[in-house]
Amino acid sequence: MAKSPKTSVGRRGFLKGAATGAAALVTTPIVEAQRRPNEAPTPAGSAPGPTDSQLARDAGNVRPPATVRAITRPGSDLMVQTVKDLGIEYAAANPGSSFEGLQESFINYGNPPNRMPEWITALHEESAVTMAHGYAKAEGKPMLAVLHGTIGIQHAAMSIYQAYYDRVPVLMIAGNDPDFIPAHTAHDMAGMVRSYTKWDAEPKTVEEALVALQRAYNEAITPPMAPTLVVINSEIQKENVPNLQVPAYKPPQFSTIDSTHAREIAKSLLAAQNPRIAVGRLRTPEGVNRAVELAELVGACTSTTATTGPMSFPQRHLLCGPGADTTYDYSLGLETPAAQVYIQGPNLAKVAATRDTENIGFAGLNGGGFGGNRAGRGRASAGTLLEADAEASLPLIIDQVKQQITSDQKSRVQERAAKHARANHDAHVTALEQAIEVKKAGWNGSPICTARIYAELWPLIMNEDWCLASPSNFSGGHNVQLWEHNKPYSYLGGQGAGGMGYGAPASVGAALAAKARNRIVVNVQTDGDLNYAPGVLWTAVHHKLPMLSVMHNNRAWHQEYMFIEYMAGVRGRGANRAEIGSTLRDPFIDYAKMAAGYGMASEGPISDPTKLSAALKRGVASAKRGEPYMIDVITQPR
Amino acid sequence: MTKISKIWLVGAAIAALATLNAQQGGRAAALPVKPVPAPTSPVSGNAASGKALYYKYGCYACHGYNGETGARPFVGRWGHLATEQDFVTFLRGRANVAPVVPSTSMPNFSAASLPDKDAKDLYAYIRTFKSSAPESKDLSTLNAIVDAAKREKN
Repeated sequence: MAKSPKTSVGRRGFLKGAATGAAALVTTPIVEAQRRPNEAPTPAGSAPGPTDSQLARDAGNVRPPATVRAITRPGSDLMVQTVKDLGIEYAAANPGSSFEGLQESFINYGNPPNRMPEWITALHEESAVTMAHGYAKAEGKPMLAVLHGTIGIQHAAMSIYQAYYDRVPVLMIAGNDPDFIPAHTAHDMAGMVRSYTKWDAEPKTVEEALVALQRAYNEAITPPMAPTLVVINSEIQKENVPNLQVPAYKPPQFSTIDSTHAREIAKSLLAAQNPRIAVGRLRTPEGVNRAVELAELVGACTSTTATTGPMSFPQRHLLCGPGADTTYDYSLGLETPAAQVYIQGPNLAKVAATRDTENIGFAGLNGGGFGGNRAGRGRASAGTLLEADAEASLPLIIDQVKQQITSDQKSRVQERAAKHARANHDAHVTALEQAIEVKKAGWNGSPICTARIYAELWPLIMNEDWCLASPSNFSGGHNVQLWEHNKPYSYLGGQGAGGMGYGAPASVGAALAAKARNRIVVNVQTDGDLNYAPGVLWTAVHHKLPMLSVMHNNRAWHQEYMFIEYMAGVRGRGANRAEIGSTLRDPFIDYAKMAAGYGMASEGPISDPTKLSAALKRGVASAKRGEPYMIDVITQPR
Repeated sequence: MTKISKIWLVGAAIAALATLNAQQGGRAAALPVKPVPAPTSPVSGNAASGKALYYKYGCYACHGYNGETGARPFVGRWGHLATEQDFVTFLRGRANVAPVVPSTSMPNFSAASLPDKDAKDLYAYIRTFKSSAPESKDLSTLNAIVDAAKREKN
């Protein structure tokens, strides 16, 4: 690999010079030109002192001298072009010198520059990756997170782990500058996160880097989906490659069931008197469309996971529900084992077997208690597994159904679907009537009950295109009963690995997806979770994202508080000191002021429930204008 | 941000339940419980002192600040709270019956950690709780949600 010559000395160049001695730097013409005429040469073997001009530049007071542009086509331009060709919309990063070449290309290369992808300013690498996590869950495709060498990767590590557990595709690039600060480089930088990424590479040339980016994208979106990382040396980012072209992109092949199975499944669905299709989490919105198409073609009632996560069957589709008759004589599972025959992609355990070479052994990857729809296989099923990607297999089944269906069967399908529709509608209304009898408990109490937040929000957003991006389990999960989750992105589900600090950055990522799609994002934000990296609120303001955050402010890490109380009781020592270390008091945190500090429109704290609805109206209106809004609501614990 | 803890387990359990419900048709069952009238038995404790204890001992954590919300709301479900003695017995009995692994996540309260007088003060405060839920017919927000669902076309 040919190294590009240094053509300027900035802060970084100065630091390098100070660290490594004069020889490396004073050989370049620019540095020679900057030396004062009467400046004495630096004694051999000692670090040079900074010149006045270097100090001035380090302080940002002097523009760099104009130079003849030696680099006509930096490798990083081609890397950006590769990312553009993959359809990546956003690249989120906290600044880092190891990717300065790349960042310069992202913001300046292309016409118009800084579009597709747009550079998103993150205040923490963990936020950058979790933004990508939330974005991918909303859109079913990756965005890019760019990380500084070593230290940035370690900042991001938790969020990478979380995205991994959540089976979410995230494309990552890390810079590596082996000649700069030793603490920011490593022989095997990706090794730090290898056991919870799916694939990584450290290419040695620009050409290899372009291929690696394409491969990383393909690996990320192919089941089991997961984060992937390409480590790119800072020098190849800057290398001049006037004649190199971006290689042709080859989309990945998704595994499908074979034609025999497709034919048998179609035959069984059509022959059944009352078929059922259980739909888990598919990969993309297109997969959801195909699932709807199949259910409608065969008149099967369906189950969905749309109330627990993204990319599943529309909750209020007429076929979604138990149907008119709950005795099903054939059931098909799509990415869920709850069926007689189920199609499910490979799980992360297979990836871990080759990636976790240190045998760290992260638990639950085989579904051992961490939820079947996330990392592992899930609950044991008596059904027959066809290991393949359900989404990619659906067109084969649909084609077979279309070929096999008779006119008699079409009539039966219509009749059955109409019955299911009536039954599902009635079941929904009954469930809702029962739910409000439960949800009204504490309705007028203060602090405000969490059910009222969701109940008051729903009429304000039900006719909007909305996305609930924050996990709702800690705030009562009231959306499950009160809201209708009909889009692939209606509810993005839990954190993935239960790590805190997820809600706000995931919502910002979802809001990035929403921004160009006339959609608004709702973030019911738990207080403990926000305090990990609240700077992401600034990112939402800076990039004008359509996001409403409603604080579920119970002034504690509440679940832990209850656990400590329980433990004290078990040991007979009383629960009167359980607040130590598990509550957020003395002082209370003022989240409206916190948001305002980041430039976000905000109000609160609100503890009077009669003031909630008006505040939510203001918040939704603001989010629709692309002005993120924060409402601090003092709530009941749960 | 390295907290993979019981928070997750509880969250996962909730999610699993929701998933299970959703698998039944996309919506979780939320069956209402017919409210039980508030007890009318005598109260000997001091409610003002009891309020301080309710906060100090974190009772609100699971029962809400008003006894109506959270993991175990008790307004309208007065089971172990019918009388002052029932309440004290419940607190003490739990420690004796299951000292290490209680059958529920309700903490044990021995006399050493919560004297009888404090328990009675707590009970006095708890007995001041009343439902803040309006009649269903007066809940326009919630009724509008049901009405909207009813209007959806079959």
